[in-house]
Amino acid sequence: MMHRRLFLKILAGGFLASCAPGELASSPIKTNVLRPPGAIPEDLFASRCIRCGRCAESCPYRSIKILDLRHGFYAGTPVIYVEKVPCYLCMRCVKICPTGTLRKVSQKEVRMGLARVNRRLCVTWKGEGICRSCYNACPFREEAIKLDRLRPVVMPEVCVGCGLCTYACPVRPKAIVVEPIYAFRTSR
Amino acid sequence: MGLTRRQFIKRTAALTAASLAGIELPKGMQEVAQAADVDRWEPGVCRFCGVGCRVYLGLKNGKPVAIKGITESATNKGYVCMKGMLFYKIIHHPERLKKPLYRERKDQPFREISWEEALDIAARKFAEVTAKYGPNATAYYGSGQALTEETYLFQKIMRAGLGTNNVEGNPRLCMASAVGGYLTSFGADEPIGSYADIEKAYCFFIIGSNMAECHPVIFRRVMNRKLSNPKEVKVINADPRVSPTSRIADLHLQFKPGTDLALLNAMAYVIVEEGLYDEEFIRKYCKFKVGKPPKDVSFEEYKEFLKQYTPERAAEICGGNITPEKIRTAARWFAKSKGTMSMWTMGINQRIRGVWANNLIHNLHLLTGQLCKPGADSFSLTGQPNACGGVREGGGLCHILPGHRPVKVDKLRHQVEDLWGVPRGTIPPKPGYHTVAMFRAVNEGKIKAIWINCTSPAQSLPNCDYYRKGLAREDVFVVVTDIFPTKTTELANLVLPTAFHFEKTGVYGCTERRSQLTVKVVDPPGEAKPEVWIVREWALKMAEKFEKMGDSRRARNLRICVKDFVGKEEGYELPKAIWDEYSQKLTKGRDNDLSGATYEVLKQRPDGVQWPAPTKEIALRGGTYKKFVRGIDPLADEEGKKLGISGPYVFYGPAHKDHKLYIWLRPYKGAAEEPDAEYPFYLSTGRVIDHWHTTSMTGRIPELLRANPYAYVEINPKDARRLGINPNDMVEIETRRGKIVLPAKVYEGPIEGMVFIYWHDMHEERMANRVTKDAFDPGSKEPEFKICACRIRKVSGPKPLKPYVVGHKR
Repeated sequence: MMHRRLFLKILAGGFLASCAPGELASSPIKTNVLRPPGAIPEDLFASRCIRCGRCAESCPYRSIKILDLRHGFYAGTPVIYVEKVPCYLCMRCVKICPTGTLRKVSQKEVRMGLARVNRRLCVTWKGEGICRSCYNACPFREEAIKLDRLRPVVMPEVCVGCGLCTYACPVRPKAIVVEPIYAFRTSR
Repeated sequence: MGLTRRQFIKRTAALTAASLAGIELPKGMQEVAQAADVDRWEPGVCRFCGVGCRVYLGLKNGKPVAIKGITESATNKGYVCMKGMLFYKIIHHPERLKKPLYRERKDQPFREISWEEALDIAARKFAEVTAKYGPNATAYYGSGQALTEETYLFQKIMRAGLGTNNVEGNPRLCMASAVGGYLTSFGADEPIGSYADIEKAYCFFIIGSNMAECHPVIFRRVMNRKLSNPKEVKVINADPRVSPTSRIADLHLQFKPGTDLALLNAMAYVIVEEGLYDEEFIRKYCKFKVGKPPKDVSFEEYKEFLKQYTPERAAEICGGNITPEKIRTAARWFAKSKGTMSMWTMGINQRIRGVWANNLIHNLHLLTGQLCKPGADSFSLTGQPNACGGVREGGGLCHILPGHRPVKVDKLRHQVEDLWGVPRGTIPPKPGYHTVAMFRAVNEGKIKAIWINCTSPAQSLPNCDYYRKGLAREDVFVVVTDIFPTKTTELANLVLPTAFHFEKTGVYGCTERRSQLTVKVVDPPGEAKPEVWIVREWALKMAEKFEKMGDSRRARNLRICVKDFVGKEEGYELPKAIWDEYSQKLTKGRDNDLSGATYEVLKQRPDGVQWPAPTKEIALRGGTYKKFVRGIDPLADEEGKKLGISGPYVFYGPAHKDHKLYIWLRPYKGAAEEPDAEYPFYLSTGRVIDHWHTTSMTGRIPELLRANPYAYVEINPKDARRLGINPNDMVEIETRRGKIVLPAKVYEGPIEGMVFIYWHDMHEERMANRVTKDAFDPGSKEPEFKICACRIRKVSGPKPLKPYVVGHKR
C-alpha cells in the first residue's frame, strides 16, 4: 500500500519530469520563442492573461500557439515560434485580446524582439555567397533591415521582431534570429 | 515597453557585439566542418542565370553534397547566390522524372513506358504529321538553358531532317530585342566588351534591370567598383521601380513605365546640345539612319529630330521624379566619364519597342565614343545561362542558323547545307514561326506536333491561359523533355525524363561571349537520359518511319544529320562529337569563331573561352576580351587587313556591309496597353533572387521555397492608402485577360500608379502570366511582359497561403 504522501510525491515528480526543463516556473520566452504583438512585459504577462485563447483563434496564419500543461504556470498563454510560423503582423490578436495583455499597438509599434544577424553563419557576411532572403522577407524592407555592401544589417529602431527574416533564412542553424530583448523589464 | 532609453541602448549594443562575435559558434563550426567534409570537388558552371558563375560541385561517396564558387574565376570571383549554392539538391531529388510517360489523350492519366516505345511514338507522330500536313506542322520550342550541343542538334534535325524552320526557344521572350538592337546598331550580335570592363568603368548606366536581384554576382562587382571609388564612380539607375539595384545609385531616374524612349532621346539631345559628343568617333565610324528600309540621314537631320526631345519635354512625358536637370546630369555623367558602361535586361527588351530602346542606348555610346575603350561598353545582360551560347549562336531561333547566319540569306543557308552534307534546298528559305506566332499556330491547329524542351511555356508565355488552350487540344501532340513535372507536362502526351546539369556534358555560353564546359560527374537518376541521346535516337527512328512511308529523301537527310554521332557514348563522347562539328565547321570563319575552343582546350582553360577564338593558341589565352579592337581581337586584325580599314577599330560585323555603326532616329512610342479609366494601373512583372523562372527547380529546394513561398504584389504606399490596402491583404489584380489574387506588400518600390508582381508562382490563383499581355515588338517579336494596364482591389484581409509547385509534396 502506498502512502498518500508518497503518491503525491511521485505524481508531482512525474509531472515535473514531463515539463519543459526549467520552464515550469520561469518564462518560456527565449530566442525565436516570442509573445504575440503588443504583449505587456513578461513579468506580468502570465498573471494578466486569462488564457482565453482568442488570440490564437483569431490568427489567420496559425502563428500563435498556446502553451500546454507542461509549461506549468505559463500553460495556456500564447507564444509564437518564429522558426515554425512567424508573425505576419495582421494585428488581429491585439484587437481581439479582452484583457489588454496584448496592447492595441500599431504594426510599427510592435516590439516582439529584435533580429540579430550572426555574422559567422550568414553566407553573405562570410563572403561565400550572395543571399538576400531576410532582406526580401522583411515587412519593413530597407527600414528594418538594410544592406551594407549586400550584407544584412538590422536597424534596432525599426525592427519589430516579427521573425519573417528568421523563417526565410536558408542557413542552418539560422543566421538571423529574434531575441526577445524587450520582454523583460530588467536585464537578465 | 517599460524600457528606458539607456536599457534599450545597452541591450542593442550587447546584441550587436554578440552578432559580431557570433555566440553560436560551436554549432556553426559544425556546419562548416560538414561542408568541408567532401571527397572531391568537380568544376563546372552554375545552372541558373546568364552570369556564368564557375562552381565546384562537392561529392561525398559519389553523392552531390555541396556547391561552392571558384575563387579564381573570371566571372564570379568565388561568389554564388543561394540558388547556385543549393542546386546540388536537384541532382538526386526524389521528385525527378525517371521514366518516359505517355498518354494517348490528354484527359487520361500517364503510364510509364519504355524508351523504345517512347521514341517510337515520338518518331511516328512527327513522321505522320510531316507526311500528312507538311513539315511546317511540326515545331521545336527550346530553351536558353539547354546546352549548346542540345540546341544545335535539335535545330539540325528540324531543319535538315524534317525541313522546317519552326525552331524557337524561350530566349525569344528574354533577349530577342537585344539581338535586334546589336544587329541594327553594330551589325554584330552580342556585347563588344566583357565583365572585366566593370572594374575599369567610371559611370554605370543601369536601365530596366534589377541586377541586384537577377544578376546578383555581377551586381556585386558593380557595387564593389562603386564603393571602392565612391566619389569618382557614378551609378545612374533608370527604373520605374526603386529596386535593390537603386540603392547604390547616385541618381535614380524614376519615370512612368514605357516612357524610356523619350528619356534616352533627351539624354542624346543634351549630349548634342552641350557638345559632349565625340566628333572624331562619329565621323570615322558612324552613320545616321532612319526608318525601314533604312535611309541615310545627316548629323544635322539627327539634331533636328532630337529637338522634339528637349529635357523639358521629356520630363513632361516621363513624369515620376524626372526633372530636366536630372536628365542633364545623367547625360553629362554618361558623356564625360572616363568609361561608361550601360547595362540592361528585360525592362528594355520586353517591350513593344524593345529594339528601338536598345538602339537608343547604343546611340548614347556611339555619340560619346564610349565604346571599345577600357571600361566603356553597351552591355546587355542575358537572363539565361545559355541564351547567348546555345540559342543566339547555335541557331535556336526561327530566323537564324548556327554561327549568326540569317536563314533568308541564300549564300549562308547553302553554306550550312554544304557543311551538313545535305542537298541544297533542304532548309527552307523562309523563317519559321516566332514564339507567339508558333503558339498561336498551335491554337489554330496549324501545328500538330510540338516538342518542348527544358522550358515551361504553359506558365512563361504572356497571356498564358489563352495559349494553354492550344496546348490542351487533343489534335496537338505535345512532347516535353524535362527533369521535373511542370505546368507544361500537365498538357503533354509524352514526357521524357532528361539528365540535369552535371549529369551530362556540354557547353554554356554566358553574357560576355564566354563558353564554359561542364563535364558529367554523376549518373542521371532512373532512366533519365541526356537530350543529345534522345534526339539522336529519335532521328534514327524517324528515318526508319520515313523510309517505310516511302519518303527516302527525309530518311536519308536524317541519317546524314546524325551519321557522325551514331554509337557514341552519350555522357561525354556524343556531346564532344556534336561540339566538334559545331565549333570546327559551323563557327569557323564567322564572327563567333569558336574553332579554337575544343573540349580539350575548354577543360584546360579554367575560365572557358570568349569568342572570337579562331585558333587553339588564342583560345588557350582565353579568347577575345574585347571585339573589334586591333591588337586584342584577332578578327579585327585579319578583317582590317582584308578590307583595307585603318585605325584602331574594325567593325567587321556581318550585318553591316559598310562596316559602320548606325545611330538610329527612333521616335518615342509608349506601351501597347496604357492605363485608362477602366484599368488605371500599370502592371509590371519581375523576378526575385531566390527563385528561377517557373520554380519547377527552385521550388523544390526547401530553403529557397521557405524564403519565398509565394508571389506577392508590390504596391506604392500612396496607392495602398488610397485603396485601403494594408500589408498582407489579399489583392485582386485584374486585366483584360484575367484576374489573380495575391498578398500585398506595401513598399516604396514601384512608382505611384504602378504595381509589381513576381512571376515565379505556379499556383493558378497567383500565376502572373495569366494577366500579362502578349503584344510583341514588330522587329524582335519579343512580347511586352513589362507593361500592361490593370485594376486592383482588396478582396480580404490577410489569408494564410500554401506554396504550390506541380508534383511537389512537402
